[in-house]
Amino acid sequence: MADIALQNVSKSFGAVEVIKDISFQVKQGEFVVFLGPSGSGKSTLLRMIAGLESIDRGKLLIGGRECQALAPGQRDVAMVFQNYALYPHMTVRDNMAFGLRNIGMKEKDIAARVADAARILEMDALLDRRPSQLSGGQRQRVAIGRAIVKEPAAFLFDEPLSNLDAALRVRTRVELAQLHQRIAATMIYVTHDQTEAMTLADRIVILNDCRIEQIGTPLEVYTYPASRFVAGFVGSPGMNFLDAEISTSGKEAVATLGDGSRMAMTISVPDGGAYELGIRPEAVQVTTGRGDTTGEATVVENLGDRTLVHTRLNDGTSVIALDGGRSQIAPGDTVTLRFDTSQLHLFDSAGRAYHAD
Amino acid sequence: MTPAATRRTNIAGAIITVITVIAAVIWAFPIYWGIVSSFKLEDEVVRPYIELWPEHPTLRHYWFALTQTQIGSWYMNSVATALGVTVLTVSTSLLVGYAISQLRFPGRRALWYLILASFMVPTQVLIINHFVLIANMGLLNTWAGIILPQLIHPVVIIVYKQFFDQVPKEFREAAVMDNASELGILTKIYIPMNWGVTTALSIVTFIWAWNAFLWPFLAVTRTEMMTITVGITQVSDAFGVYYARQLASAVLAGFPVALAYLLFQRRVTQAITLSAGIKG
Ligand SMILES: Nc1ncnc2c1ncn2[C@@H]1O[C@H](COP(=O)(O)OP(=O)(O)OP(=O)(O)O)[C@@H](O)[C@H]1O
Ligand SMILES: [Mg+2]
Repeated sequence: MADIALQNVSKSFGAVEVIKDISFQVKQGEFVVFLGPSGSGKSTLLRMIAGLESIDRGKLLIGGRECQALAPGQRDVAMVFQNYALYPHMTVRDNMAFGLRNIGMKEKDIAARVADAARILEMDALLDRRPSQLSGGQRQRVAIGRAIVKEPAAFLFDEPLSNLDAALRVRTRVELAQLHQRIAATMIYVTHDQTEAMTLADRIVILNDCRIEQIGTPLEVYTYPASRFVAGFVGSPGMNFLDAEISTSGKEAVATLGDGSRMAMTISVPDGGAYELGIRPEAVQVTTGRGDTTGEATVVENLGDRTLVHTRLNDGTSVIALDGGRSQIAPGDTVTLRFDTSQLHLFDSAGRAYHAD
Repeated sequence: MTPAATRRTNIAGAIITVITVIAAVIWAFPIYWGIVSSFKLEDEVVRPYIELWPEHPTLRHYWFALTQTQIGSWYMNSVATALGVTVLTVSTSLLVGYAISQLRFPGRRALWYLILASFMVPTQVLIINHFVLIANMGLLNTWAGIILPQLIHPVVIIVYKQFFDQVPKEFREAAVMDNASELGILTKIYIPMNWGVTTALSIVTFIWAWNAFLWPFLAVTRTEMMTITVGITQVSDAFGVYYARQLASAVLAGFPVALAYLLFQRRVTQAITLSAGIKG
């Protein structure tokens, strides 16, 4: 178990530089998730740590040891592949033992490690089966087992749950979290699913277009997104974005929305002018009292414990608002919306974020 | 489908079945005729009308072939050379196919095109060169001389390459993470994952080598070094042609291949489809 540090690493595929000067640190025992849309460079970054992609420039330290020039097998990390890559002609036991045999470990020690891993993952009964005789979830478990037996400094996962059905994905996600607690290993986990990221991560590294947008705890990236991109990517349903004209004096600002409604807030922005105002659905309440603006309900999603009301303001802007569980609102109704101005964000034209107090 | 349409397809199916059966009979009859004739007496064979069954079935031609010819040596030569060709062709093609599919080295592309191109050259064109080469090496009338020029089977390389190409790259990566050496990846992952191809290719290569005639015919002049396909052409003597004897030795020559076909029917079909897909 060890910490991992990337220092100014870069990587090109041919003439295209995909990873540009990235630095960050993963603490020992930490569960870090790389989150980002497709093509954002998550897998590439993970594979650079694994050694499956070369690091063109910069340093990779695993447990303080410089690893960027070492062969994958020498880096003391284990990887779990999206499609598991279990060797189909070997039993589960041999799949797990393969890597240990390659480093010349004694059969007795191998057997002990395999037995240990099988106990941790509760798959003793599966050891003599072939991968083709396993269900998707069991294969996933074997893939993790194959990593565990190596007792690596760090575990690397590339979208390990994406081949499972929804129910199993949720269950396995919980099991992974438990596994992390039990073996307290450093884990780096790649996903484009923000729920997975939010639930599993100690810290999330949000990638966009092969750059790091933000590194932070799930709550930090949710509450204080560093950029317009992060704000839009994290959270489901997504944040509402409205065009707003801001006039500011000191820490106070007044926003004028496209439909003419105005609201005051406490926020420090350098200048007034055109901004994008961001607010999460749970900060937009449907109210019977005084509100900030009104809209027409277009779609009402009843989720049982709460209701998502999709509304259209009179300038055509869409806003999703939250209502209680037994909402009486029907599509076509005019609803009054109240914005919780303490949970507002403003984004300038460069995508930089400012948060309300 | 409407009943009328069903009836139409049934009729079409029936017609196709009839045609196939006729074709099969046309194709199989000479074989049947050859086998039956080998059990006939020599004068029955040359009778001018068709007799579908021997009047006096006899094993004497088989007895002759087995005792009065060198068929034992020929068998031996055929088995040795066909096995040699198979083992060497398959093992080298496997390595070449793997290298071209999985390794990145300078000249890889050029090598691949060279192999594809060599595939366009019929061996008959090269046979004189082969003869001169083998003669210069002093290998005429030896097993090595029979085997060497038959090791050129680009199609085996091509099939291997295509199969190795289809192995998802994660297996290789997983093995690399598992500290496997290149040779380990080949022998412990890629070959076992493709056993089917190896068996199929071995069987067809063996059959090709067993059936080879032109080259062994040129490379061997001493009767005791002949392969069985060449040897059976020798089963005539100064007094003329004995059809039944020749047919009996031909049946003996074809027997191992027929057996191989029967035992490995599915693999053989698979292999022929594989190589046909490439030979086009
Ligand atoms: N072998 C390669 N050659 C050239 N470009 C590549 C290669 N691998 C990845 N890329 C490029 O690098 C960028 C990042 O790809 P990467 O696979 O890391 O994305 P990702 O975030 O894992 O996406 P996904 O969620 O789809 O898996 C993409 O623009 C991709 O086209
Ligand atoms: Mg990926």
